[in-house]
Amino acid sequence: MSSTANVDKNSKYVGTIIGESTSREFRLAVAHETIREQDIIAVDAELRHPDGNQPPEQIRVWAKVQRIERLNPLFPSEAGHELAETRTDPFDTILSLSREMVTAVCQVLGAEPIDGKSGGKLDHLRYPPQPATRAYRPDSSDIARVVLGDLQEKQKRALDIATLSNRPEVDVLVDGHSIVTRHLAILAMTGAGKSVTARRIIEQLAKKNYPIVIFDPHGDYTGLSEVDGLKTRVKRYYAQFPIFEEDSETIAEIVNTLGYQLTDTMRSRFSDLFRAATSFIVDDPKEMKERTEWLAKAIGRPEIADYGVNPNMWLVANLAEAGELALRNDNGDENKAKLVELGWPGFDKYTKTDGRTLEGIKKRTYRAASALSRMEKTNQIVAKSAEPLPVDRKELVKYGQISIIALAGYTGDFQATIYSLIADTIFEARVTGELRLPTLLLLEEAHNFAPARAMTPAEHRAISTTKQIAQEGRKFGVGLILVSQRPSRLDETTLSQANSFIIMRMVNPADQNFVRKVIETLGEDEARILPDLDVGEAILSGQLINFPVLVKIKKSESEGEREEKDAFEELEKAYKDLRNNQS
Amino acid sequence: MTIFNQNDPKRLTEDGVREDLQRQPHIFMKLAENALTVAESLRDNYFKNTASFVAALRRAIHAAGQGQRTEAILETANIPRLDWEMLRDEVVTFIDGGVGNVQISSQIPILLRVGSYMVRTGERNLAEREHFGYYPVILGDLEGGSKERSDFIDIVRITAELLGGLSALQRTPDLRVLMFHGPLVYLMSGYAGHTPFTEKDIDLFLDQYAPDRELGQNLKDEFLEQAKLDIYPQMTDRSDEWSERRIFEPLSWIAFLYRKLIQEAKIRNPRPVIVGVVERGKLREFSEKKLLERVFRGLRQKGNEDYFNKMYGRTDLKSPKNLLDRLGYTDTLLLAMILEPGQMSETWDISKYAGLREGNISLPGEAGTSRVNYAPLKSSQIGFPDIQGCYLHVSETTEPIRIEVFKELGGNQITEAAGRTYLYSRMLPGYGFPIGLDIADKYAHVPNWLTNAYGKLIKHQLGVSLQSGEISDAQMRRILIQAIYMTHRDWLFRPNN
Repeated sequence: MSSTANVDKNSKYVGTIIGESTSREFRLAVAHETIREQDIIAVDAELRHPDGNQPPEQIRVWAKVQRIERLNPLFPSEAGHELAETRTDPFDTILSLSREMVTAVCQVLGAEPIDGKSGGKLDHLRYPPQPATRAYRPDSSDIARVVLGDLQEKQKRALDIATLSNRPEVDVLVDGHSIVTRHLAILAMTGAGKSVTARRIIEQLAKKNYPIVIFDPHGDYTGLSEVDGLKTRVKRYYAQFPIFEEDSETIAEIVNTLGYQLTDTMRSRFSDLFRAATSFIVDDPKEMKERTEWLAKAIGRPEIADYGVNPNMWLVANLAEAGELALRNDNGDENKAKLVELGWPGFDKYTKTDGRTLEGIKKRTYRAASALSRMEKTNQIVAKSAEPLPVDRKELVKYGQISIIALAGYTGDFQATIYSLIADTIFEARVTGELRLPTLLLLEEAHNFAPARAMTPAEHRAISTTKQIAQEGRKFGVGLILVSQRPSRLDETTLSQANSFIIMRMVNPADQNFVRKVIETLGEDEARILPDLDVGEAILSGQLINFPVLVKIKKSESEGEREEKDAFEELEKAYKDLRNNQS
Repeated sequence: MTIFNQNDPKRLTEDGVREDLQRQPHIFMKLAENALTVAESLRDNYFKNTASFVAALRRAIHAAGQGQRTEAILETANIPRLDWEMLRDEVVTFIDGGVGNVQISSQIPILLRVGSYMVRTGERNLAEREHFGYYPVILGDLEGGSKERSDFIDIVRITAELLGGLSALQRTPDLRVLMFHGPLVYLMSGYAGHTPFTEKDIDLFLDQYAPDRELGQNLKDEFLEQAKLDIYPQMTDRSDEWSERRIFEPLSWIAFLYRKLIQEAKIRNPRPVIVGVVERGKLREFSEKKLLERVFRGLRQKGNEDYFNKMYGRTDLKSPKNLLDRLGYTDTLLLAMILEPGQMSETWDISKYAGLREGNISLPGEAGTSRVNYAPLKSSQIGFPDIQGCYLHVSETTEPIRIEVFKELGGNQITEAAGRTYLYSRMLPGYGFPIGLDIADKYAHVPNWLTNAYGKLIKHQLGVSLQSGEISDAQMRRILIQAIYMTHRDWLFRPNN
């Protein structure tokens, strides 16, 4: 071997295998500072064929440094306590500080022919590497090859989302196919970079024109529309709560929550009222105009005739008022008859007492309508869009389109309900074949849409929808990206259906344990480093990658609404604007 | 922190001693052992009587300290308090030897290695701060020494350790402290009568220790010259033959090495502190010759000769020796109950060479024995140096340790040694022993995996050779040597960068 080759070999040397070596794990005696946890290293080996007739096979065993142990056996802990007690610098004493044993515990990732002709695909190692073998740091190109694995031959599927954390020169490409078909979970605590990660993935998928529907509770994805190349393809919608797609019981509950509590008598009349409101809306514009004008006159609000009515809570309240007035007014028989004609079941049998009941319903429903309007308004502002959700929700799924449904402004139950209605529609359309294109649903704050313990009917419904898509979505071309900062609050069945994971910084022990329990591909040592990850660092695990690796996620081109800005700078800017306006 | 309070009057009572014993399980266990092994008539009230005796000793020491008694039975002092700041930039070397036993059919000592740990306090550059030395001796390679004797390994170890110390002194001009694990000088009479080492043996030793070949040769020549002129003629009628054959009688060779150590130390300024530290010593000389001698004298003075006989219900406890023989007390046991942590006993001249007298010896290659007189080695001119020692009580959970220094190096050796030994031992309060020696001990330790591997390999090779009918002495030796030299250096023996 030439001297240059020797120098090269020595500069790449990281350690020597010691102790018991198995085909899953081995230990390396390493020199100081030559290696870091999560580094990818290699060991060359020779495998003889059992029959002995063929020449031995030269292989390269790939492994990942799971943890590094550093021990000074000549420094007893008793002496450490004494140093602490006397506040003594160990260098001033006779203690030995020079003899340390540094051992790296390495997990075997697999093996390939030493010439790398397998295209990065790693086989299972069936015979342990030999003790006393040298381990070395492979070239970046070789690492990139094995990290890529099968993707090498399927470049169209590759998404460029990260670099290796310990080797920034190595790009990490992941399998987009696995993400869109077999679901991905992005799990991290707040501020660890999960929305940036999700946006990076979305941007990459958008380059491949994959239809994506994003449920965005906080406006994290509005910035996508500002990315060159995506501007025309991002559609932002604000969400009106589609109350007429719900049953009367649900709407009564909403009135209870947003208005005042309905009495039992009111609840019994509410279903009739709701049915009347449902049947009030007709497709014929002329008929609709007549009905609107009648309603405006009946309750003495001419502006209704000007602006028209919409299928919302205001209409329910207006009809309650119309009913109340018809019952209380001695001359209300005509309106009574009209309400019966409009489809208010049994209204002709209502008495004056029912008038008082309707009055109560009216007050509560107006209040609820007002609260709901406020939510819708906030939602519209955050969405930065005047475009409401399309009536035909299948329109959300289009080739190359990213549909962002803003859910900000709504409380959790409303968000869950809106999500369920849309996701159900899309999924059913895929099942029936009405929707030709496959799609990917991204659920930000996924623990709200697939909670571990559903407390309200809205949550029950959302979890059932998500679970169904998680379990059957693969068959019907509906994929999920679940993004959550509280994994332990996620439904276990749903999460376990995800085949790919991006796990970022996580300090909550409950979340760590849950992740460790649910994600089979996540090793114990990887779980242990979760609290120590930097912002933007992530462990990729599952089918999106050849083997679990620690990466640094690349920056997304877009920014979210909640990107951290300096609070004091923002204050000064606002004050300056204020003064400019005043002058 | 100490559990004792010198001014606590209860400490001077039997109850106080009993309470102290209960707090110090290591002493309690020792006494329990003694209680089982002493004569049946002494077993009853063994604890009670011991407590009563120790309380009386404490009272006497206290009274002397208060000026209420003219003759002290034991002088105690606080160990000089040093701190690490004061000792910055000192070079200290610790020496310890270890033996590797191989299990073939029984345990056989096969390998000895001496470890040295040199450290410069305050130095932050690790390469400059610490140096480890490792000197192996394969016992099978030695021609001299009486290998049939169980103490053969000891004379080899003593020689190796001394050469390690001498080497450390010669290699390190600014060495301030040289500390040995164990007595500075052993009770040498026990090692008399060993077959002398050959010059080849000494070369094997020197090959490891001498900084360079010339120095080794000089050391050897110097000894042989002294032996020829002064030592051997006083020991044997066959001195001419001994000198001619260039043999190294082990005790005179060891004594020579001690003298060289002192000679080397004397020319240094400041003079290095050379000290041996003994843990778990069984010595009782201090109790017999100093402490109890004074006690008995005091009793005789008061006409109370039967004090101990009355206490224990016997008639034979009339001298320190008898008392110690019957009751199983040792220096460390008694002093553990008397000295407070942080205190040291008075210094005394330790008698190490009383047993050196005439004996028999076989020369290498000779079947018969000839007479040899070891008594001349008592002289510090051609023999062993005088040794002083004292006991230090490091912590309440440990027994006192004994330190030994060369008397010839001056009176402040013991004070300086005591202060440093105490400071070094405070790093291991649960062990109460200088941590530097603990480090050297671990370093010199022959790891089990090494000796186990040798044992397996030797057995395997022997089995193969026996089966193939090729076994011969030469073959056997080759196998053993090969097995032993299959030395995978473990992490401790990495060369320094």
